[in-house]
Amino acid sequence: MTDPAFSPAPAAEAAMVHAGNGTPAPAKITVRDLNFFYNGFHALKGISMDIPEKQVTAIIGPSGCGKSTLLRIFNRIYNIYPKLEAKGEIVLDGENILDPKYSLNRLRSKVGMVFQKPVPFPMTIFENVAYGIRHHERLGRAEMENRVEQALRSAALWDEVKDKLKQNALGLSGGQQQRLCIARGIALKPEVLLLDEPTSALDPIATSRIEQLVEELKADFTIVIVTHNMQQAARCSDQTAFMYLGELIEFDKTEKIFTKPNKKQTEDYITGRFG
Amino acid sequence: MSSPSMVNAPTLTADMAARNRRDARNDRLFAWLLAACGMIVLVTLVGAAGSTLWGGREAFAKFGWHFLVSTEWDPGTDTYGALVPIFGTVVTALIALVIAVPVSFGISLFLTEVAPNWLRSPVGSAIELLAGIPSIIYGMWGLFIFSPFMSAHVKPWLVNYMSTQPDDGKVAWIPAHVPFIGKVFTSQYPFGGGVLTAGIVLAIMVIPFISSVMREVFQTVPTRLKESAYALGSSTWEVVWDIVLPYTRSAVIGGVFLGLGRALGETMAVAFVLGNAFQLSASLLEPGSSIASAIANQFSEAVGLQKSALMALAFLLFVVTFIVLLIARLMLRRLASKEGR
Repeated sequence: MTDPAFSPAPAAEAAMVHAGNGTPAPAKITVRDLNFFYNGFHALKGISMDIPEKQVTAIIGPSGCGKSTLLRIFNRIYNIYPKLEAKGEIVLDGENILDPKYSLNRLRSKVGMVFQKPVPFPMTIFENVAYGIRHHERLGRAEMENRVEQALRSAALWDEVKDKLKQNALGLSGGQQQRLCIARGIALKPEVLLLDEPTSALDPIATSRIEQLVEELKADFTIVIVTHNMQQAARCSDQTAFMYLGELIEFDKTEKIFTKPNKKQTEDYITGRFG
Repeated sequence: MSSPSMVNAPTLTADMAARNRRDARNDRLFAWLLAACGMIVLVTLVGAAGSTLWGGREAFAKFGWHFLVSTEWDPGTDTYGALVPIFGTVVTALIALVIAVPVSFGISLFLTEVAPNWLRSPVGSAIELLAGIPSIIYGMWGLFIFSPFMSAHVKPWLVNYMSTQPDDGKVAWIPAHVPFIGKVFTSQYPFGGGVLTAGIVLAIMVIPFISSVMREVFQTVPTRLKESAYALGSSTWEVVWDIVLPYTRSAVIGGVFLGLGRALGETMAVAFVLGNAFQLSASLLEPGSSIASAIANQFSEAVGLQKSALMALAFLLFVVTFIVLLIARLMLRRLASKEGR
């Protein structure tokens, strides 16, 4: 590593927390002074970060630290509930997605999301993948079949389901269901993929398949993954953000966070002293 | 206490053996008790069906299959046929469903998906209160308030614009061009009651039932499932239609048929507004009769064959309800196979 970021950064740096100084990848998402309120409760406090393009950014932290909340702002899924409010800026490709005029439909075609537990829709495997595509594009039958196959292939699921596309998706195993959800997300050809603890409900083998898949997918997508599992963050991310009590404590290259964190809190958390 | 090894069976002390026997006996007793409770369902069903069938044996013996297809119901000549009440029962219940199902959908979806939180529980409780209103109150409201309203405002309009025999003699475009519709709305009956009125009153009665079932069911849809659909760019309408409804389908159909069952058997409200005429008419504005209302109206004075015919009617209500439930089951099975389960 010839990264100058190895020298400990002074604590009172700029308000901006960078993912390792001099990261070559341009920022896909820029978060500026983001505050989030849940029924008046101040859940996220002044978060600013740059999420680089086509890399994996992990967000870690103890339960209740706001990591899922932050992720759920990136596609404004919180919008379906009343009394939730985000203040600040999240710039995606030069546009502020928190602007009420930013079309939700467009945002969600650019930013896909996979949830904690696998949630296939009550339809066939094929329809599960085709469902999202239909909201955004009109495709002919052959084209649609092509797109579904592509998505299932990228999610490393095609070989296991190609003979039972017409069967109900609820018949798949948990790991297969989660890969189906990933296929459903990437079928829209999003630019950003949000993963909210995608392996917390899966067994170790299914988990390692998903992690391997994340590694492959970053060639095409900017990935943000929230995880409870520090080994997972260490294994499959390029940047790691550590959050605690609604604040972004430290955000740096993953190796840096896990070997020489700047902040005492980060070190305490990754060495298991709390959390 | 000596610790028994895992390989050799531990020696039972007298206490443990007694305890085991007691547990086994209690469990057996408990199982019998539960079985007896379960049996009550079957005994009641068989008993009610059997006793109405037995009570109606004279009528069934005398008229045979004609009892099912005859429209005549005349205590003067002691001839009885069940077609008019069966027809009235089914048609009023269907009208009720056609109106109540979409409205209930609207109410329950509003309450689970759209309404702000502070409104959800008051409206939800109001629905349960409505479901608790005795049917006689709906009947009185139907007779004294709703029927006059129908005869003053709704019926004249329907007769003028929908029937082939309007008062002014000029047939409007719809009855002139759409077959059958004219027959459905032609009427010489001067009062507000009738098949349509009874159907509407029934609809108002079953809406609370259907919508409270639907509301409960819609609440069971996992948030994760809805969020996943929203995350793919679905609108609220698409989430409801593509995710919430398929997920809850069998329970929703169950709720609808619960409402239908209630509409089929409803007695007092229908007896008040249906008109109680034993005539078979295609017109929804004419008076008619339903099984339950016919029984309620005639039972106190009926003797001999008429009483038996009323018992036979009651048995037929069983049969109609049973057929309806059967259709519901078949529908569910077909839907399930379409989905690839």
